[in-house]
Amino acid sequence: MAALNPSDIINAGEHVFIKMPSDNVKCIVLKAGSSVSLGKFGTFKANDIIGHAWGNSYEIYDRDSKTRVYHPEGISEVEETANNNREIVDDPSSQKLTLDDIKALKSEGLKGELTGEEIVNKLKESHATFDKKTAYSQAKYLQKKGKKFHKVFTPIKPTAYSVNEYFYVKNPAKIRDIRMDTLSQLLSYSNVHSGCKLLVVDDTQGMIVSALAERMGGKGTILGLYDGDNPHYDIVKYMNFNQETLDTIKVLSWLRIHRPADEKTPDEMQDVTQLTGKDLEGYHRRLKAYNIVEESRKTLFEGNFDALIVASQYQPESILEKLLPYVAGSRPIIVYHGTKEALLETSTWMRKCPDLLAPQLTESWLRKSQVLPGRTHPEMSTWGTGGSLLTATKVIDQPVQAALTKRERLAMEKKNAEAKKLKRAREEAESAAPSPAPVVSAEDATNVAIEEEEVIMTTTITTTTSTSTIEPIDDDNESRSVKRVKQE
Amino acid sequence: MSLATQHTFATYKKNNTIEEGDLVSKENVILIRIQADSEFCCKFGNYKHSDMIGLQYGTKLGSNTGRGFLFLLYPTPELWTLILPHRTQILYIADISLIMSFLDLKPGRVMIESGTGSGSFSHSIARTIAPGGHLFTFEYHQDRVAIATKEFEEHGLKDLVTIECRDVCKNGFGLENKADA
Repeated sequence: MAALNPSDIINAGEHVFIKMPSDNVKCIVLKAGSSVSLGKFGTFKANDIIGHAWGNSYEIYDRDSKTRVYHPEGISEVEETANNNREIVDDPSSQKLTLDDIKALKSEGLKGELTGEEIVNKLKESHATFDKKTAYSQAKYLQKKGKKFHKVFTPIKPTAYSVNEYFYVKNPAKIRDIRMDTLSQLLSYSNVHSGCKLLVVDDTQGMIVSALAERMGGKGTILGLYDGDNPHYDIVKYMNFNQETLDTIKVLSWLRIHRPADEKTPDEMQDVTQLTGKDLEGYHRRLKAYNIVEESRKTLFEGNFDALIVASQYQPESILEKLLPYVAGSRPIIVYHGTKEALLETSTWMRKCPDLLAPQLTESWLRKSQVLPGRTHPEMSTWGTGGSLLTATKVIDQPVQAALTKRERLAMEKKNAEAKKLKRAREEAESAAPSPAPVVSAEDATNVAIEEEEVIMTTTITTTTSTSTIEPIDDDNESRSVKRVKQE
Repeated sequence: MSLATQHTFATYKKNNTIEEGDLVSKENVILIRIQADSEFCCKFGNYKHSDMIGLQYGTKLGSNTGRGFLFLLYPTPELWTLILPHRTQILYIADISLIMSFLDLKPGRVMIESGTGSGSFSHSIARTIAPGGHLFTFEYHQDRVAIATKEFEEHGLKDLVTIECRDVCKNGFGLENKADA
């Protein structure tokens, strides 16, 4: 049932994104009773929006910064006129209002005397050549002025999508350039769902951990391995997670996976009975910290993780080597990096690794378009890379008696037949006289073992000839079938 | 053959071993249901289902004829999207994942989908909103509804998905105040 979640309304004390008419987004913590300043767009009272549902825009009006819900005009078809720019000269004197006049209008707007729309209308009326513009140009002019003078803001709820967009625009280096399309594909490939157990190495300041935790809905575990003293999962705080969800995120430092020499167990710590006051408090704090680390260690060593996700500044192979044993069979391994070149070596390593199936390197393209009646087209400036993903499936390799070419198969069958014959002869000899049997069987055993090894090596070599190319994600060809190598 | 275990695409099994009645994907091609007496024959060899029972998911299994091997994988919505029989054009992972993020889908959400089609997107949604959420999906083509219903049932998604044969453009959804997306 779609019951009203606490996250469906704006709550006090939470992070909120405010989108302003200039399309800039500001991030604030909404304190009850405070006034929020939006610079040249005015100020509004936090209490006016606390408790409201998400999705509305608000207009600041009147002298004491009242807010009301703003209903934007519907986008209507723009009728083409016969106008063109033949006689339009780009001349600052086209606008009859002086800079001072406009400043005055602006301050009146801030005081609440005029609405944004009224200011824009005044500008339009004192524009000498406005009527000569084409209809599209007029619409564009009004929109541009509106971005400067409208006092409308939109609160945006922080979700993995909006938080990622905010940081991708404001500070992409912080999240290692991971863009929403790449991040969402990472979520799909990892098959993250409520109740699963994930092993993550996240150097994107917690962007990936936040997105995973959101999709797990408070059930399951994420174990984040980090470097140094602090995991630096800064982004988690923007998501406004409840305590249940935060509890699913566990962390463990690489340095503490095995107990370092200087770490004391509770037994080695000071004798409890002799402590009082502050010392006792200190002891309990240290004990609590120790227990948290012990629990994280236990989670790691239990293994059987449902996915391994690596987004690290370090060379991925070294991390994969250490962590692959902890992942269960038939589970995804995903490596993210800002550039695909960094993943090329890793993909070669993966192809040689017998525990990984079908590595695939992908990079995704995302293009923004302007959508307006009659003027829908891709935007003029495009985004750069959104990062690349290298995915594979963990499998349980086994020595398999498989020969893939006819010649190999016949050779193997012949050897198997001989082995069987010897075995039968041995059994008959056993039923007649038991003693000579052991010597003969030892030899056979060695022979059979060698044959198996030979066959296995052939198999492994043929497997790695399967191709894994870099392809744009809009292809659906992912043929990874084992190819037979013709040996002649 | 009985659906003895609670086998579903929406989540993994606890012990990660193959038991009778489970669905198993061979690498890249087929979804098969394990039955004790069956055999699975393909160009990579012959495989007895009974050989598979008791193995961990992800195991590489050699063929009985000595020719070839295959990997036994757990079925996931992503694999299903790649191998399902197309009755209509389907959505692939790139679009599915971006839409799910844009709609803020997570466990407990209720969603409406119009145009079930071949059910590719539906499987991914069901996995993401489980447990506690629900997907109301609508399709106006009778036969596709029948096939999709059967698939949802076989894949253990019956409790998460309600499919209805309805033309929503003409007749609406028939739901009030229910959905989050």
